[in-house]
Amino acid sequence: MNSWVHPGLVICIGGFLIPFIPWRRVKQAYFIALPLAGLAIMVSTSMGLFGAIPPWPAALHKWNIPFLHYTLDIVRINKLSILFGYVYVIAAFCMNIYALRAKNDWEHVAAMIYVGSALGAVFAGDLFTLFFCLEIMSWAPFFILLFRGTKKASRAAIRYILWHHFSGVCILAGILIHVHQTGSIEFAHMPWGWGGNYLGSNLMLLGFVVNAATVPFHSWLADTYSEASPGGSIYMTAFTTKTAVFCLITTFAGVPLLLWMGVISAMFAVFMAVLENDGRRLLSYHIISQVGYMVAGVGIGTEMAINGAVAHAFCHIIYKALLYMGVGCVLLIVGTTKFDRLGGLYKYMPLSFWMTMIGAFSISGFPLFSGFVSKTMTIEASELAHLPIVYLLLEGASIGTFLHTGLKLPWNVWLQGMDEPPAEIRAKLNDSAFNTPVHMLIAMGILSLLCLFLGLYPSVLYELLPYPVEFVPYTVTRVFSITQLFIFSFLGFWLLRKWLRGHPTYVLDTDWLVRITGGLFIKFCKVPLIAFGSYLDKQIVTITDTFIVNIRNPSIEARLTPMAIGFGVLVSLLLLSVFLFFKM
Amino acid sequence: MNKLRTYPRSLFWKLYYACLVVSLILDFFWLYTHVFHYHFAFQYLPQFFALLGLFGCMLLILIAKGMGVIIVVDEDYYEKKIGRSN
Repeated sequence: MNSWVHPGLVICIGGFLIPFIPWRRVKQAYFIALPLAGLAIMVSTSMGLFGAIPPWPAALHKWNIPFLHYTLDIVRINKLSILFGYVYVIAAFCMNIYALRAKNDWEHVAAMIYVGSALGAVFAGDLFTLFFCLEIMSWAPFFILLFRGTKKASRAAIRYILWHHFSGVCILAGILIHVHQTGSIEFAHMPWGWGGNYLGSNLMLLGFVVNAATVPFHSWLADTYSEASPGGSIYMTAFTTKTAVFCLITTFAGVPLLLWMGVISAMFAVFMAVLENDGRRLLSYHIISQVGYMVAGVGIGTEMAINGAVAHAFCHIIYKALLYMGVGCVLLIVGTTKFDRLGGLYKYMPLSFWMTMIGAFSISGFPLFSGFVSKTMTIEASELAHLPIVYLLLEGASIGTFLHTGLKLPWNVWLQGMDEPPAEIRAKLNDSAFNTPVHMLIAMGILSLLCLFLGLYPSVLYELLPYPVEFVPYTVTRVFSITQLFIFSFLGFWLLRKWLRGHPTYVLDTDWLVRITGGLFIKFCKVPLIAFGSYLDKQIVTITDTFIVNIRNPSIEARLTPMAIGFGVLVSLLLLSVFLFFKM
Repeated sequence: MNKLRTYPRSLFWKLYYACLVVSLILDFFWLYTHVFHYHFAFQYLPQFFALLGLFGCMLLILIAKGMGVIIVVDEDYYEKKIGRSN
């Protein structure tokens, strides 16, 4: 039997070699081939090359390593993990094509470690391995942000890592309490409830929820994803939040708290996106919103809802990468994604417009596009569970998604009723309809085709889902209701489009509390605390000075002979022993 | 292929109005011929999804604009507020 190699390890270690390849073409080819190696391993695993499935390959047993009193189960493959694994490597392949010409090779290294550790997390069979991979995953985007080289990005990197330290510490504490209580390190479904007995589970849940950017712990996402380089940010869109969704599905399926957190996220993020002036921040809010659907699906917890959440995660990674790529092209070429400075780009970048529109129709859940086959599953699950309020809120979030990603974003960036972009933007464009670099168009083209393919042939995706699917997406009722919903949403948009124009503003989010309190604390440390410290310092110095001056009195100094000192010590010891004797 | 073109405006509007009218008619038609299978009673209201789309969208923008009175600030808000320490 052939021995199995961990695809995450291949990608991680392979990534480290990128900067040491001297030939540019070879380096680029190697960079693109790396995720394909991971894909090849996974395809051959699913085909049963390493052992019959199910049960999953026996060849994996050598990946069990003793650690303390436990045995680490580094690899555990099941239907759920292999599905996430597939979409991670497929997305990474397209992302690598897109980010081919990044200036800094180390950005590629960080990206590959990110992909590799995400694969490690979804294949983890025990909690320690999971925690280890999640920790690596939280550092990789930190470096992606740092390598952009701007001051804003490095500050965002620090904020990013602080949030993820918080979630990491919560997860670790939760794991330790859980292991202490149960003695098991298995990464599996956990009991959940309120109260002290469930402290471990609740801490883990909190950590996962922060990683999944669920309201009210979502603000790090919009804050930091929009600061990375055009090539770096697309990696960030895919892995952290979806791995957190994977963890939630594995451990906390059916927790009612998650249902409401998810629904509120889906809706809240949509409101924030109305006010947003930056294209990438707008898309970041839609990650929060779409992950809200998944978290809500996990919260409903029925087989159909879990299937919906997984399918949506799969489609989401693909269309969100596509959308970020579309806006990334604009950022790369004209240097901004602020709506108040853009408009009329259609003439110069039509292909990226159309491909972004495919992503936008997918995220909105338009029939024939990928979001339709996955999002409707979660919505249908809410209908079958008789949750009319959840249903209405999820439909409302769908309207909002279409309104922003399908209408506001392309309108403000590419159209705005202008035939020509503003003068300072026009100056950066060539007289050509192909301002976007070819490799970027190829990457977006592949993802667009995938979006359409999944929308047209959902059965391919449905077969990969963890539970058997009896759901038929294309019914007259569903296709008609969604289409009519969007046709009339457009009318609403058109009537109020003036209100959705960009203005040079910034939208405050829940991180205001943390950032302002943190800032005030640092200011407090810098000014009053330092002043108080130096005041104390001065007083002590004055007291010691007086003391020294007094003992320097020549008459005292003359009497300080060794004998006198010895006598003094003796007397003090005597007094101390008398004191201790009576004290006892 | 490399010719600079603006977007097909008139075609879009023709298509859009056609879809709008067709969807309104189809909704009445299919609702009264019992083609639809919904889960909640309110979904069977005539033109429910048209109204939800139109008013949902407008309400969303209005509520968000209301929130914006408090949470929309200048672009360099944090730089001004906490300066370099952040």
